Amino acid sequence: MQMPGTKYVLAVSGRQYSVWKKFIGSSMASNVANPILFLFAFGFGLGQFIDAMDGMSYLTFVVAGMIAYSAAFSASFETTIGSFTRYFTMGNWDAILSTPVTLTELLMGEVLWAAAKALISSVTVLVVGWVWGGVPSLSGALLALPIVFLASICFACVGLAATAYAKGYEFFSYFFTFWVTPMFVFCGVFFEISRFPEVIQYIAWAFPMTHLVAAIRPMSAGLPIDLTMLALHSAYILIISVIAFVAANRKMRQRLYD
Amino acid sequence: MNAPAIIAAVDLKKKYDDLEVVKGINFSVEPAQCFGLLGPNGAGKSTTMRMIMGLSDVTEGSLEVFGVPVQKMTRNIKAKIGLVPQETNLDPDISVVENLETFGRYFALPSALISERVPKLLEFMQLTEKARAPVMALSGGMQRRLVIARALIGEPELVVLDEPTTGLDPQARVLIWKQLLALKKQGRTLLLTTHYMDEAQRLCDQIIVIDEGKILDQGTPQQLIDRHVKGHVFEVQKPDLAKSTDGKWDQEDIGDSVLYFVRSTQEFIADLPENAVYLHRPANLEDVFLRLTGRTLREN
Repeated sequence: MQMPGTKYVLAVSGRQYSVWKKFIGSSMASNVANPILFLFAFGFGLGQFIDAMDGMSYLTFVVAGMIAYSAAFSASFETTIGSFTRYFTMGNWDAILSTPVTLTELLMGEVLWAAAKALISSVTVLVVGWVWGGVPSLSGALLALPIVFLASICFACVGLAATAYAKGYEFFSYFFTFWVTPMFVFCGVFFEISRFPEVIQYIAWAFPMTHLVAAIRPMSAGLPIDLTMLALHSAYILIISVIAFVAANRKMRQRLYD
Repeated sequence: MNAPAIIAAVDLKKKYDDLEVVKGINFSVEPAQCFGLLGPNGAGKSTTMRMIMGLSDVTEGSLEVFGVPVQKMTRNIKAKIGLVPQETNLDPDISVVENLETFGRYFALPSALISERVPKLLEFMQLTEKARAPVMALSGGMQRRLVIARALIGEPELVVLDEPTTGLDPQARVLIWKQLLALKKQGRTLLLTTHYMDEAQRLCDQIIVIDEGKILDQGTPQQLIDRHVKGHVFEVQKPDLAKSTDGKWDQEDIGDSVLYFVRSTQEFIADLPENAVYLHRPANLEDVFLRLTGRTLREN
């Protein structure tokens, strides 16, 4: 087993970056437009019926949730539909594996780029939310970005594990229905999970998304931060990342080598 | 003593569960030679190539590339190999130049070296005018040339070519042949599989013919021709065949006519009846291939 080399990992991420640069216009437009649409619906629409949630204005509550969700969606999409297309449809991975790049480096490169792209998405939401008036503590929100990046790595790894098991694009409908949509619905993006029955709450805490939202929301709201909880949330996210990456690597090795 | 072999296979076997697809083959590829791996579809060529690239585990026997067992293939060895795969897997999202640059980075080459090599490779494969074009805008022949250029970005000592000219027009094939011979002159070793026997005859110094996972014969194209098809082929239409029927002539019935493989053309022509209808041509590698592997269709 060869130790992963930074140059090789960056070569893989770099390829994705150079493609993204070509479509930066459309990519940024949807990055900006999406949160505006959501904030419009929830901030103006729903927000009029809700005065406060979890000790903050509903707008502040939703902006933090949207920062997390945009990272989750972006990273998940990149390492499922994106990676599967490069691996299965384009033969891009076969081409890369004929070079000195190892499979582990290839997968790390995929994850790194997906997380970087997810971070760009989150920052866009943060900027829009801040302009909208939903970020009371900008410095707190900026300090939360490393956690958003860590969680994006986690979402990317889980997506990659799904890709490793996917036989075709249809498989991802399960992934989006049973993994991405629950992150949107059950993990505290739009309301506190304490409103759920206890059983559902336990399930919700199994999702790294819940930990991300819980970690960053007090930071962007400018509320006091419990460092121990912050460390626990981060540790959970990290553990899931490692498990998912190892699973993806193992399964992909079985598929690509014989 | 010869220089050490670039590739050495000893009793190499590959099994998928109970199915043995490579059944103990021995061969060695010497430096700066073009080595042809010929065989019908399903003969075990691709599996052998995958094992050489380190993409498939060796079940039994040994396989060394640059003197190191493939199980222990390091990054440095991988960097000495350039692969031209059967499927054209160029990156459709980026331009011709970017395809080469990106590949250069997979080989961890410094940027300055990449920018130095890219124009030379474009020139070598006559793609300079298409440098900024998107890959999708290239014809099949140009895409194939780009795949070859891409395989050369790391200046590999060994170039593995899996059916490099399949589906190309004669002009493109001639250009690729010329450049492959140029690579050989530069001292690079080529491992080639192809279904075009004229291609193998023109490019290869050594050939092995494999079928059903076993080597049927190996040698230079000329040795194989001499050994199996003698030098001349007469295709004689039935029913006016050669008069001697006592096994004097090496022959093969192919339906409406009979093929005779002969060394002395005069002696054979003298043995034909006056009104015989026949076609005479020099024997080639295709005759060898069909004699060794049979005429029945594969893939059924």
